Amino acid sequence: MAAYGNENAEMRLNNGKKQSWLRSLADSDLAVGWLFTLPFLVLWAWWFFYPFLQSFIRSFQDANFASLGDAKFIGLQNYVQILNDSEFYRAVIHSLQIVVIAVPLQTILGLIMAILVNQKLKGKGMFRTLFFIPYITSQIAITTVFMMLFKQGTFVTEFFTFFGFDNATWFADTRYALLFVAILFIFQQAGFSMIVYLSALQEVPKDLYEAGQMDGASKWAQFRYITVPYVKPITFFVVSVATILGFQIYDQIAAISRYGALGSPAGATSTVVTYFYQHGIRYMEIGYGSAAVVLFFFIIMIITFLQKKLLDDKG
Amino acid sequence: MNAKKSIQLLGNYSLLTILGFVFALPFLYTLYTSFITMRDVNTFTWITNWTVDNYKLFFTNEAYNVPKWLMNTVIMTGIVILGNLIINPMAGFALAKLDFKGKKLIYWIVVASMMVPYHMILIPVYVNVAQIGWLNTFYALTVPFLYQCLYIFMLRQFFISVPTEFIEAARLDGLTKMGAFWRIVYPLAKSSLITMSILAFAGTWNSYLIPSTLANDPEKYVLVVGLNSVKDMFFENTPLIMAGVVLSTLPILIFFFLFQRQYIEGISSSGVKG
Repeated sequence: MAAYGNENAEMRLNNGKKQSWLRSLADSDLAVGWLFTLPFLVLWAWWFFYPFLQSFIRSFQDANFASLGDAKFIGLQNYVQILNDSEFYRAVIHSLQIVVIAVPLQTILGLIMAILVNQKLKGKGMFRTLFFIPYITSQIAITTVFMMLFKQGTFVTEFFTFFGFDNATWFADTRYALLFVAILFIFQQAGFSMIVYLSALQEVPKDLYEAGQMDGASKWAQFRYITVPYVKPITFFVVSVATILGFQIYDQIAAISRYGALGSPAGATSTVVTYFYQHGIRYMEIGYGSAAVVLFFFIIMIITFLQKKLLDDKG
Repeated sequence: MNAKKSIQLLGNYSLLTILGFVFALPFLYTLYTSFITMRDVNTFTWITNWTVDNYKLFFTNEAYNVPKWLMNTVIMTGIVILGNLIINPMAGFALAKLDFKGKKLIYWIVVASMMVPYHMILIPVYVNVAQIGWLNTFYALTVPFLYQCLYIFMLRQFFISVPTEFIEAARLDGLTKMGAFWRIVYPLAKSSLITMSILAFAGTWNSYLIPSTLANDPEKYVLVVGLNSVKDMFFENTPLIMAGVVLSTLPILIFFFLFQRQYIEGISSSGVKG
Protein backbone atom coordinates (compact mmCIF):
# COMPACT_ATOMS: atom_id res chain seq x y z
CA MET A 1 0.00 0.00 0.00
CA ALA A 2 2.69 2.41 1.00
CA ALA A 3 4.72 1.75 -2.10
CA TYR A 4 1.68 2.30 -4.25
CA GLY A 5 1.03 5.63 -2.54
CA ASN A 6 4.56 6.75 -3.18
CA GLU A 7 4.34 5.91 -6.87
CA ASN A 8 1.19 7.89 -7.07
CA ALA A 9 2.83 10.88 -5.51
CA GLU A 10 5.77 10.61 -7.85
CA MET A 11 3.45 10.51 -10.82
CA ARG A 12 1.79 13.63 -9.64
CA LEU A 13 5.15 15.23 -9.05
CA ASN A 14 6.15 14.44 -12.61
CA ASN A 15 3.04 16.10 -13.91
CA GLY A 16 4.36 19.45 -12.82
CA LYS A 17 7.67 18.96 -14.57
CA LYS A 18 7.90 22.55 -15.70
CA GLN A 19 8.41 23.69 -12.12
CA SER A 20 10.31 20.66 -10.94
CA TRP A 21 13.41 22.71 -10.17
CA LEU A 22 11.51 25.17 -8.00
CA ARG A 23 9.51 22.33 -6.51
CA SER A 24 12.49 20.37 -5.34
CA LEU A 25 13.88 23.55 -3.82
CA ALA A 26 10.65 24.14 -1.94
CA ASP A 27 10.83 20.57 -0.71
CA SER A 28 14.46 20.59 0.36
CA ASP A 29 15.23 20.90 4.06
CA LEU A 30 18.33 22.92 3.43
CA ALA A 31 16.70 25.49 1.15
CA VAL A 32 13.48 25.89 3.10
CA GLY A 33 15.36 25.83 6.39
CA TRP A 34 17.49 28.81 5.44
CA LEU A 35 14.73 30.60 3.59
CA PHE A 36 12.43 30.36 6.61
CA THR A 37 15.04 31.53 9.08
CA LEU A 38 16.43 34.22 6.79
CA PRO A 39 14.01 37.06 7.73
CA PHE A 40 14.73 36.41 11.39
CA LEU A 41 18.49 36.17 10.83
CA VAL A 42 18.63 39.40 8.82
CA LEU A 43 16.70 41.38 11.43
CA TRP A 44 18.60 39.73 14.25
CA ALA A 45 22.00 40.53 12.73
CA TRP A 46 20.95 44.09 11.98
CA TRP A 47 19.00 44.97 15.10
CA PHE A 48 20.46 42.69 17.73
CA PHE A 49 23.86 41.24 17.01
CA TYR A 50 25.44 44.34 15.50
CA PRO A 51 24.21 46.63 18.32
CA PHE A 52 25.22 43.97 20.85
CA LEU A 53 28.81 43.99 19.57
CA GLN A 54 28.75 47.77 19.39
CA SER A 55 27.83 48.01 23.06
CA PHE A 56 31.06 46.22 23.91
CA ILE A 57 33.22 48.02 21.35
CA ARG A 58 31.94 51.50 22.21
CA SER A 59 32.53 50.84 25.88
CA PHE A 60 36.28 51.00 25.15
CA GLN A 61 35.95 54.21 23.16
CA ASP A 62 35.77 57.87 23.93
CA ALA A 63 32.67 58.20 21.76
CA ASN A 64 30.25 61.10 21.69
CA PHE A 65 27.14 61.15 19.54
CA ALA A 66 28.13 64.38 17.80
CA SER A 67 31.54 63.06 16.74
CA LEU A 68 31.16 59.31 16.41
CA GLY A 69 33.51 59.24 13.42
CA ASP A 70 36.45 60.40 15.51
CA ALA A 71 35.86 57.96 18.36
CA LYS A 72 39.20 56.91 19.85
CA PHE A 73 39.94 53.73 21.75
CA ILE A 74 40.84 54.57 25.31
CA GLY A 75 41.10 51.11 26.82
CA LEU A 76 39.40 50.68 30.17
CA GLN A 77 39.17 54.37 30.94
CA ASN A 78 35.35 54.47 30.83
CA TYR A 79 35.13 51.57 33.25
CA VAL A 80 37.69 53.10 35.58
CA GLN A 81 35.76 56.36 35.57
CA ILE A 82 32.44 54.63 36.30
CA LEU A 83 33.94 52.56 39.10
CA ASN A 84 35.26 55.77 40.62
CA ASP A 85 31.91 57.51 40.39
CA SER A 86 30.05 57.49 43.68
CA GLU A 87 26.81 58.10 41.76
CA PHE A 88 27.23 54.69 40.14
CA TYR A 89 27.47 52.92 43.50
CA ARG A 90 24.46 54.83 44.70
CA ALA A 91 22.60 53.61 41.63
CA VAL A 92 23.66 49.99 42.21
CA ILE A 93 22.55 50.17 45.83
CA HIS A 94 19.17 51.61 44.80
CA SER A 95 18.70 48.80 42.27
CA LEU A 96 19.51 46.24 44.95
CA GLN A 97 17.21 47.94 47.45
CA ILE A 98 14.27 47.83 45.05
CA VAL A 99 14.88 44.14 44.36
CA VAL A 100 15.42 43.21 48.01
CA ILE A 101 12.24 44.99 49.14
CA ALA A 102 9.94 44.23 46.25
CA VAL A 103 10.80 40.71 45.11
CA PRO A 104 10.08 38.82 48.37
CA LEU A 105 6.95 40.88 49.05
CA GLN A 106 5.49 40.43 45.59
CA THR A 107 6.26 36.70 45.74
CA ILE A 108 4.49 36.24 49.08
CA LEU A 109 1.60 38.46 48.00
CA GLY A 110 1.29 36.53 44.74
CA LEU A 111 1.17 33.21 46.59
CA ILE A 112 -1.40 34.45 49.11
CA MET A 113 -3.61 35.82 46.35
CA ALA A 114 -3.29 32.59 44.39
CA ILE A 115 -4.31 30.50 47.42
CA LEU A 116 -7.26 32.80 48.15
CA VAL A 117 -8.66 32.77 44.62
CA ASN A 118 -7.99 29.04 44.23
CA GLN A 119 -10.64 28.22 46.83
CA LYS A 120 -14.29 27.55 46.25
CA LEU A 121 -15.45 31.07 46.92
CA LYS A 122 -18.11 33.16 45.30
CA GLY A 123 -16.69 35.92 43.14
CA LYS A 124 -13.19 34.47 42.95
CA GLY A 125 -13.08 35.10 39.20
CA MET A 126 -13.73 38.79 39.80
CA PHE A 127 -10.90 39.00 42.36
CA ARG A 128 -8.58 37.12 40.03
CA THR A 129 -9.20 39.67 37.28
CA LEU A 130 -8.89 42.58 39.71
CA PHE A 131 -5.49 41.40 40.99
CA PHE A 132 -4.24 40.76 37.49
CA ILE A 133 -5.29 44.02 35.83
CA PRO A 134 -2.29 46.08 37.05
CA TYR A 135 0.00 43.67 35.24
CA ILE A 136 -1.62 44.33 31.86
CA THR A 137 -1.87 48.09 32.35
CA SER A 138 1.04 50.28 31.31
CA GLN A 139 3.50 51.14 34.05
CA ILE A 140 3.20 54.79 33.11
CA ALA A 141 -0.55 54.74 33.76
CA ILE A 142 -0.16 52.96 37.11
CA THR A 143 2.58 55.34 38.19
CA THR A 144 0.49 58.34 37.12
CA VAL A 145 -2.47 57.14 39.17
CA PHE A 146 -0.32 56.52 42.25
CA MET A 147 1.27 59.96 41.91
CA MET A 148 -2.19 61.51 41.92
CA LEU A 149 -3.11 59.37 44.93
CA PHE A 150 -0.02 60.46 46.84
CA LYS A 151 -0.45 64.18 46.27
CA GLN A 152 -0.87 66.37 49.35
CA GLY A 153 -4.32 66.24 50.85
CA THR A 154 -5.64 63.05 49.27
CA PHE A 155 -7.16 60.37 51.46
CA VAL A 156 -4.07 58.20 50.91
CA THR A 157 -1.59 60.71 52.32
CA GLU A 158 -4.04 61.49 55.13
CA PHE A 159 -4.22 57.76 55.86
CA PHE A 160 -0.45 57.42 56.10
CA THR A 161 -0.16 60.57 58.18
CA PHE A 162 -2.67 59.06 60.58
CA PHE A 163 -0.33 56.09 60.98
CA GLY A 164 2.58 58.30 61.87
CA PHE A 165 4.26 58.88 58.53
CA ASP A 166 5.29 62.43 57.71
CA ASN A 167 2.80 64.32 55.64
CA ALA A 168 4.75 63.98 52.42
CA THR A 169 4.23 63.36 48.75
CA TRP A 170 6.19 60.15 48.59
CA PHE A 171 7.33 60.37 45.00
CA ALA A 172 8.82 63.83 45.59
CA ASP A 173 10.44 63.07 48.93
CA THR A 174 13.97 61.63 48.92
CA ARG A 175 13.18 59.46 51.94
CA TYR A 176 10.17 57.69 50.42
CA ALA A 177 10.68 57.85 46.65
CA LEU A 178 12.52 54.54 46.35
CA LEU A 179 9.92 52.82 48.51
CA PHE A 180 7.27 54.35 46.25
CA VAL A 181 8.91 52.73 43.22
CA ALA A 182 9.11 49.39 45.05
CA ILE A 183 5.39 49.60 45.92
CA LEU A 184 4.54 50.28 42.28
CA PHE A 185 6.55 47.25 41.24
CA ILE A 186 4.85 45.01 43.82
CA PHE A 187 1.41 46.27 42.79
CA GLN A 188 2.16 45.42 39.19
CA GLN A 189 4.10 42.18 39.46
CA ALA A 190 2.06 40.37 42.16
CA GLY A 191 -0.74 39.61 39.68
CA PHE A 192 1.66 37.85 37.35
CA SER A 193 3.05 35.76 40.21
CA MET A 194 -0.50 34.95 41.28
CA ILE A 195 -1.34 33.55 37.83
CA VAL A 196 1.82 31.46 37.71
CA TYR A 197 1.24 30.14 41.25
CA LEU A 198 -2.40 29.46 40.45
CA SER A 199 -1.50 27.12 37.61
CA ALA A 200 0.92 25.32 39.93
CA LEU A 201 -1.62 25.07 42.78
CA GLN A 202 -4.15 23.49 40.49
CA GLU A 203 -1.74 20.64 39.96
CA VAL A 204 -1.23 19.82 43.65
CA PRO A 205 -2.97 16.44 44.17
CA LYS A 206 -6.13 16.92 46.25
CA ASP A 207 -5.57 13.70 48.21
CA LEU A 208 -2.42 15.18 49.71
CA TYR A 209 -4.57 17.72 51.54
CA GLU A 210 -7.15 15.10 52.41
CA ALA A 211 -4.43 12.90 53.90
CA GLY A 212 -3.16 15.91 55.79
CA GLN A 213 -6.62 16.63 57.17
CA MET A 214 -7.04 13.00 58.27
CA ASP A 215 -3.80 13.24 60.20
CA GLY A 216 -5.16 16.35 61.88
CA ALA A 217 -2.73 18.76 60.27
CA SER A 218 -3.72 22.38 60.72
CA LYS A 219 -4.24 24.68 57.76
CA TRP A 220 -0.90 26.25 58.48
CA ALA A 221 0.83 22.85 58.61
CA GLN A 222 -0.80 21.88 55.32
CA PHE A 223 0.42 25.11 53.79
CA ARG A 224 3.90 24.69 55.23
CA TYR A 225 4.43 21.01 54.45
CA ILE A 226 2.32 20.44 51.33
CA THR A 227 1.79 23.68 49.40
CA VAL A 228 5.18 25.33 49.91
CA PRO A 229 7.32 22.32 48.88
CA TYR A 230 5.02 21.64 45.96
CA VAL A 231 5.29 25.13 44.49
CA LYS A 232 9.03 25.42 45.13
CA PRO A 233 10.16 25.08 41.50
CA ILE A 234 7.57 27.68 40.54
CA THR A 235 8.86 29.94 43.29
CA PHE A 236 12.26 29.83 41.63
CA PHE A 237 10.69 30.93 38.38
CA VAL A 238 8.62 33.68 40.02
CA VAL A 239 11.59 35.01 42.01
CA SER A 240 14.00 35.01 39.07
CA VAL A 241 11.53 36.71 36.70
CA ALA A 242 10.78 39.38 39.31
CA THR A 243 14.46 39.88 40.13
CA ILE A 244 15.42 40.44 36.52
CA LEU A 245 12.45 42.75 35.94
CA GLY A 246 13.24 44.55 39.20
CA PHE A 247 16.73 45.33 37.95
CA GLN A 248 15.30 46.57 34.67
CA ILE A 249 12.74 48.99 36.15
CA TYR A 250 12.67 52.15 34.10
CA ASP A 251 9.15 53.37 33.25
CA GLN A 252 8.10 54.05 36.83
CA ILE A 253 11.22 56.09 37.53
CA ALA A 254 10.95 57.99 34.25
CA ALA A 255 7.38 58.88 35.20
CA ILE A 256 8.18 60.22 38.66
CA SER A 257 11.24 62.18 37.44
CA ARG A 258 9.13 65.03 36.16
CA TYR A 259 11.32 68.12 36.02
CA GLY A 260 14.61 66.81 37.26
CA ALA A 261 17.07 64.41 35.74
CA LEU A 262 16.18 60.72 35.62
CA GLY A 263 16.18 59.30 39.12
CA SER A 264 14.55 62.32 40.72
CA PRO A 265 14.02 63.54 43.37
CA ALA A 266 17.71 64.46 43.74
CA GLY A 267 18.92 61.08 42.56
CA ALA A 268 16.95 59.23 45.23
CA THR A 269 15.59 56.78 42.63
CA SER A 270 18.61 56.54 40.37
CA THR A 271 19.28 52.94 39.34
CA VAL A 272 21.78 51.20 37.11
CA VAL A 273 19.30 51.60 34.25
CA THR A 274 18.71 55.32 34.74
CA TYR A 275 22.48 55.75 35.17
CA PHE A 276 23.29 54.34 31.74
CA TYR A 277 20.24 55.98 30.11
CA GLN A 278 21.16 59.36 31.50
CA HIS A 279 24.73 59.14 30.22
CA GLY A 280 24.25 57.17 27.01
CA ILE A 281 21.03 58.67 25.65
CA ARG A 282 20.36 61.97 27.43
CA TYR A 283 23.96 63.22 27.52
CA MET A 284 24.86 61.28 24.35
CA GLU A 285 28.07 59.96 25.90
CA ILE A 286 27.88 56.80 23.83
CA GLY A 287 31.14 55.26 25.06
CA TYR A 288 30.61 55.98 28.74
CA GLY A 289 26.96 54.88 28.61
CA SER A 290 27.92 51.67 26.83
CA ALA A 291 30.44 50.81 29.52
CA ALA A 292 27.68 51.32 32.12
CA VAL A 293 25.40 49.01 30.10
CA VAL A 294 28.06 46.30 29.98
CA LEU A 295 28.43 46.53 33.77
CA PHE A 296 24.62 46.33 34.08
CA PHE A 297 24.67 43.20 31.94
CA PHE A 298 27.32 41.58 34.14
CA ILE A 299 25.42 42.43 37.31
CA ILE A 300 22.31 40.71 35.92
CA MET A 301 24.33 37.68 34.85
CA ILE A 302 26.01 37.37 38.25
CA ILE A 303 22.68 37.63 40.06
CA THR A 304 21.08 35.02 37.79
CA PHE A 305 24.04 32.72 38.32
CA LEU A 306 23.97 33.16 42.12
CA GLN A 307 20.24 32.49 42.25
CA LYS A 308 20.61 29.31 40.27
CA LYS A 309 23.47 28.15 42.45
CA LEU A 310 21.63 28.98 45.65
CA LEU A 311 18.49 27.09 44.65
CA ASP A 312 20.39 24.15 43.20
CA ASP A 313 22.31 23.73 46.45
CA LYS A 314 19.13 23.83 48.48
CA GLY A 315 17.14 21.55 46.24
CA MET B 1 -16.17 21.52 62.66
CA ASN B 2 -18.82 23.65 61.05
CA ALA B 3 -18.03 26.64 63.21
CA LYS B 4 -14.35 26.25 62.41
CA LYS B 5 -15.14 26.17 58.74
CA SER B 6 -17.22 29.31 58.80
CA ILE B 7 -14.57 31.17 60.75
CA GLN B 8 -12.10 30.12 58.13
CA LEU B 9 -14.42 31.22 55.35
CA LEU B 10 -14.89 34.55 57.08
CA GLY B 11 -11.12 34.93 57.36
CA ASN B 12 -10.67 34.19 53.68
CA TYR B 13 -13.31 36.67 52.69
CA SER B 14 -11.97 39.42 54.91
CA LEU B 15 -8.47 38.98 53.54
CA LEU B 16 -9.83 38.95 49.99
CA THR B 17 -11.91 42.03 50.68
CA ILE B 18 -8.96 43.96 52.09
CA LEU B 19 -6.74 43.02 49.16
CA GLY B 20 -9.58 43.65 46.71
CA PHE B 21 -10.13 47.07 48.26
CA VAL B 22 -6.46 48.01 47.92
CA PHE B 23 -6.42 46.89 44.29
CA ALA B 24 -9.77 48.41 43.34
CA LEU B 25 -9.21 51.77 45.01
CA PRO B 26 -6.78 53.24 42.45
CA PHE B 27 -9.12 52.28 39.62
CA LEU B 28 -12.25 53.63 41.25
CA TYR B 29 -10.47 56.85 42.23
CA THR B 30 -9.22 57.26 38.67
CA LEU B 31 -12.63 56.73 37.15
CA TYR B 32 -14.41 58.98 39.64
CA THR B 33 -11.87 61.80 39.48
CA SER B 34 -11.88 61.81 35.68
CA PHE B 35 -15.51 62.93 35.75
CA ILE B 36 -15.32 65.78 38.24
CA THR B 37 -14.02 69.32 38.15
CA MET B 38 -10.78 70.42 39.77
CA ARG B 39 -12.74 72.17 42.50
CA ASP B 40 -14.27 68.87 43.61
CA VAL B 41 -11.05 66.83 43.83
CA ASN B 42 -10.82 64.88 47.09
CA THR B 43 -14.41 65.61 47.99
CA PHE B 44 -17.42 63.52 47.26
CA THR B 45 -19.82 64.92 44.75
CA TRP B 46 -23.01 63.56 43.24
CA ILE B 47 -23.33 62.36 39.69
CA THR B 48 -25.34 65.49 38.84
CA ASN B 49 -22.16 67.55 39.24
CA TRP B 50 -20.14 65.29 37.02
CA THR B 51 -18.75 66.46 33.71
CA VAL B 52 -17.15 65.03 30.58
CA ASP B 53 -15.15 68.21 29.91
CA ASN B 54 -11.90 66.50 30.92
CA TYR B 55 -12.40 63.96 28.19
CA LYS B 56 -13.55 66.53 25.65
CA LEU B 57 -10.28 68.40 25.91
CA PHE B 58 -8.35 65.44 24.58
CA PHE B 59 -10.40 65.39 21.40
CA THR B 60 -10.49 69.13 20.72
CA ASN B 61 -7.01 70.29 21.70
CA GLU B 62 -4.57 70.17 18.78
CA ALA B 63 -1.48 69.66 20.95
CA TYR B 64 -2.99 66.84 22.95
CA ASN B 65 -4.55 64.85 20.24
CA VAL B 66 -5.56 61.50 21.66
CA PRO B 67 -7.07 60.20 18.39
CA LYS B 68 -3.72 60.82 16.72
CA TRP B 69 -1.80 59.03 19.49
CA LEU B 70 -4.27 56.18 19.38
CA MET B 71 -3.71 55.90 15.64
CA ASN B 72 0.06 55.86 16.13
CA THR B 73 -0.25 53.15 18.75
CA VAL B 74 -2.54 51.06 16.55
CA ILE B 75 -0.17 51.34 13.57
CA MET B 76 2.88 50.47 15.67
CA THR B 77 1.22 47.52 17.40
CA GLY B 78 -0.44 46.27 14.20
CA ILE B 79 2.76 46.16 12.16
CA VAL B 80 4.73 44.54 14.96
CA ILE B 81 2.15 41.79 15.42
CA LEU B 82 1.89 41.18 11.68
CA GLY B 83 5.65 40.75 11.43
CA ASN B 84 5.69 38.42 14.42
CA LEU B 85 2.89 36.34 12.89
CA ILE B 86 4.97 35.68 9.77
CA ILE B 87 8.62 35.67 10.82
CA ASN B 88 8.40 33.77 14.13
CA PRO B 89 6.39 30.74 12.93
CA MET B 90 8.58 30.35 9.84
CA ALA B 91 11.73 30.26 11.94
CA GLY B 92 10.08 28.12 14.63
CA PHE B 93 8.95 25.59 12.04
CA ALA B 94 12.39 25.39 10.41
CA LEU B 95 13.98 24.77 13.81
CA ALA B 96 11.40 22.16 14.77
CA LYS B 97 10.75 20.14 11.63
CA LEU B 98 13.51 20.68 9.10
CA ASP B 99 16.97 19.19 9.16
CA PHE B 100 19.62 21.43 7.67
CA LYS B 101 23.20 22.51 8.13
CA GLY B 102 23.45 25.46 10.49
CA LYS B 103 20.25 24.69 12.38
CA LYS B 104 22.04 24.10 15.69
CA LEU B 105 23.74 27.48 15.45
CA ILE B 106 20.46 29.28 14.72
CA TYR B 107 18.77 27.54 17.64
CA TRP B 108 21.60 28.60 19.89
CA ILE B 109 21.24 32.19 18.63
CA VAL B 110 17.53 32.18 19.52
CA VAL B 111 18.05 30.81 23.02
CA ALA B 112 21.03 33.03 23.85
CA SER B 113 19.37 36.23 22.58
CA MET B 114 16.30 35.50 24.71
CA MET B 115 18.38 35.99 27.84
CA VAL B 116 19.69 39.45 26.95
CA PRO B 117 17.68 42.41 28.30
CA TYR B 118 16.83 45.01 25.67
CA HIS B 119 18.63 47.69 27.69
CA MET B 120 21.86 46.03 26.64
CA ILE B 121 21.50 47.17 23.02
CA LEU B 122 19.40 50.32 23.44
CA ILE B 123 22.23 52.86 22.99
CA PRO B 124 23.60 51.39 19.71
CA VAL B 125 20.04 50.88 18.43
CA TYR B 126 19.38 54.56 19.12
CA VAL B 127 22.60 55.54 17.33
CA ASN B 128 21.83 53.33 14.32
CA VAL B 129 18.25 54.59 14.09
CA ALA B 130 19.50 58.17 14.19
CA GLN B 131 22.20 57.54 11.60
CA ILE B 132 19.81 56.13 9.01
CA GLY B 133 17.38 58.95 9.66
CA TRP B 134 14.67 56.85 11.26
CA LEU B 135 14.20 58.86 14.47
CA ASN B 136 10.52 59.76 14.87
CA THR B 137 9.38 57.35 12.18
CA PHE B 138 7.30 54.20 12.32
CA TYR B 139 10.26 52.30 10.86
CA ALA B 140 12.17 52.78 14.10
CA LEU B 141 9.20 51.65 16.20
CA THR B 142 8.46 48.55 14.15
CA VAL B 143 11.29 47.14 12.01
CA PRO B 144 13.60 46.12 14.89
CA PHE B 145 10.69 44.40 16.64
CA LEU B 146 9.17 42.33 13.84
CA TYR B 147 10.50 39.13 15.42
CA GLN B 148 11.00 37.96 18.99
CA CYS B 149 13.27 35.13 20.05
CA LEU B 150 11.00 34.16 22.95
CA TYR B 151 8.08 33.57 20.58
CA ILE B 152 10.25 31.69 18.07
CA PHE B 153 11.21 29.43 20.95
CA MET B 154 7.57 29.02 22.07
CA LEU B 155 6.38 28.22 18.54
CA ARG B 156 9.24 25.77 18.02
CA GLN B 157 8.02 23.88 21.09
CA PHE B 158 4.56 23.76 19.57
CA PHE B 159 5.72 22.63 16.11
CA ILE B 160 7.73 19.79 17.64
CA SER B 161 4.45 18.44 19.01
CA VAL B 162 2.88 18.36 15.51
CA PRO B 163 3.25 14.79 14.14
CA THR B 164 5.69 14.61 11.24
CA GLU B 165 3.20 12.27 9.54
CA PHE B 166 1.01 15.30 8.81
CA ILE B 167 3.76 16.80 6.69
CA GLU B 168 4.52 13.49 5.01
CA ALA B 169 0.84 12.96 4.19
CA ALA B 170 0.66 16.44 2.68
CA ARG B 171 3.69 15.68 0.55
CA LEU B 172 2.07 12.50 -0.69
CA ASP B 173 -0.78 14.70 -1.79
CA GLY B 174 1.63 16.71 -3.86
CA LEU B 175 2.57 19.54 -1.54
CA THR B 176 6.17 20.53 -0.94
CA LYS B 177 7.50 20.95 2.58
CA MET B 178 7.07 24.68 2.19
CA GLY B 179 3.51 24.21 1.00
CA ALA B 180 2.80 21.79 3.82
CA PHE B 181 3.86 24.45 6.29
CA TRP B 182 1.58 27.19 5.00
CA ARG B 183 -1.42 25.00 4.18
CA ILE B 184 -1.36 22.39 6.95
CA VAL B 185 0.95 23.22 9.84
CA TYR B 186 0.42 26.99 10.08
CA PRO B 187 -3.37 26.68 10.51
CA LEU B 188 -2.80 23.98 13.15
CA ALA B 189 -0.80 26.48 15.19
CA LYS B 190 -3.78 28.83 15.47
CA SER B 191 -4.11 28.77 19.25
CA SER B 192 -0.35 29.19 19.78
CA LEU B 193 -0.37 32.09 17.34
CA ILE B 194 -3.29 33.72 19.14
CA THR B 195 -1.47 33.39 22.47
CA MET B 196 1.65 34.91 20.94
CA SER B 197 -0.28 37.79 19.39
CA ILE B 198 -1.95 38.60 22.69
CA LEU B 199 1.34 38.66 24.59
CA ALA B 200 2.94 40.75 21.82
CA PHE B 201 -0.05 43.11 21.74
CA ALA B 202 0.10 43.87 25.45
CA GLY B 203 3.88 44.20 25.42
CA THR B 204 3.95 46.57 22.46
CA TRP B 205 0.91 48.63 23.41
CA ASN B 206 2.24 49.31 26.91
CA SER B 207 5.88 49.88 25.99
CA TYR B 208 7.40 53.18 27.04
CA LEU B 209 11.19 52.84 27.05
CA ILE B 210 11.52 52.23 23.31
CA PRO B 211 8.92 54.66 21.90
CA SER B 212 10.04 57.44 24.25
CA THR B 213 13.63 56.94 23.13
CA LEU B 214 13.14 56.51 19.39
CA ALA B 215 10.13 58.77 18.78
CA ASN B 216 9.93 61.83 21.02
CA ASP B 217 8.20 64.15 18.59
CA PRO B 218 4.63 64.83 19.82
CA GLU B 219 3.40 64.05 16.30
CA LYS B 220 4.67 60.50 16.70
CA TYR B 221 3.74 59.95 20.35
CA VAL B 222 2.09 56.68 21.20
CA LEU B 223 -0.60 56.72 23.90
CA VAL B 224 1.70 55.82 26.78
CA VAL B 225 4.29 58.47 25.90
CA GLY B 226 1.53 61.02 25.32
CA LEU B 227 -0.04 60.26 28.68
CA ASN B 228 3.28 60.79 30.42
CA SER B 229 3.71 64.21 28.81
CA VAL B 230 0.15 65.23 29.69
CA LYS B 231 0.87 64.25 33.28
CA ASP B 232 4.05 66.36 33.36
CA MET B 233 2.44 69.42 31.74
CA PHE B 234 -0.80 69.54 33.71
CA PHE B 235 0.39 68.00 36.94
CA GLU B 236 -1.95 70.05 39.13
CA ASN B 237 -5.00 69.15 37.08
CA THR B 238 -5.77 65.73 38.51
CA PRO B 239 -9.15 65.28 36.75
CA LEU B 240 -7.65 65.97 33.33
CA ILE B 241 -4.79 63.52 33.93
CA MET B 242 -7.16 60.86 35.17
CA ALA B 243 -9.26 61.22 32.02
CA GLY B 244 -6.05 60.69 30.08
CA VAL B 245 -5.32 57.55 32.09
CA VAL B 246 -8.79 56.20 31.35
CA LEU B 247 -8.52 56.97 27.63
CA SER B 248 -5.08 55.46 27.24
CA THR B 249 -5.77 52.27 29.19
CA LEU B 250 -9.32 51.61 27.97
CA PRO B 251 -8.30 49.89 24.71
CA ILE B 252 -5.98 47.44 26.44
CA LEU B 253 -8.58 46.71 29.12
CA ILE B 254 -11.26 45.98 26.51
CA PHE B 255 -8.77 43.80 24.69
CA PHE B 256 -7.95 41.98 27.93
CA PHE B 257 -11.58 41.24 28.72
CA LEU B 258 -12.06 39.83 25.20
CA PHE B 259 -9.05 37.52 25.36
CA GLN B 260 -8.66 37.02 29.10
CA ARG B 261 -8.71 33.22 28.98
CA GLN B 262 -6.07 32.85 26.27
CA TYR B 263 -3.92 35.56 27.81
CA ILE B 264 -3.84 33.90 31.21
CA GLU B 265 -3.20 30.49 29.64
CA GLY B 266 -0.30 32.01 27.72
CA ILE B 267 1.19 33.48 30.88
CA SER B 268 0.83 30.32 32.92
CA SER B 269 2.18 28.06 30.20
CA SER B 270 5.22 30.27 29.82
CA GLY B 271 5.62 29.99 33.58
CA VAL B 272 5.40 26.23 33.70
CA LYS B 273 7.88 25.89 30.88
CA GLY B 274 10.31 28.31 32.45
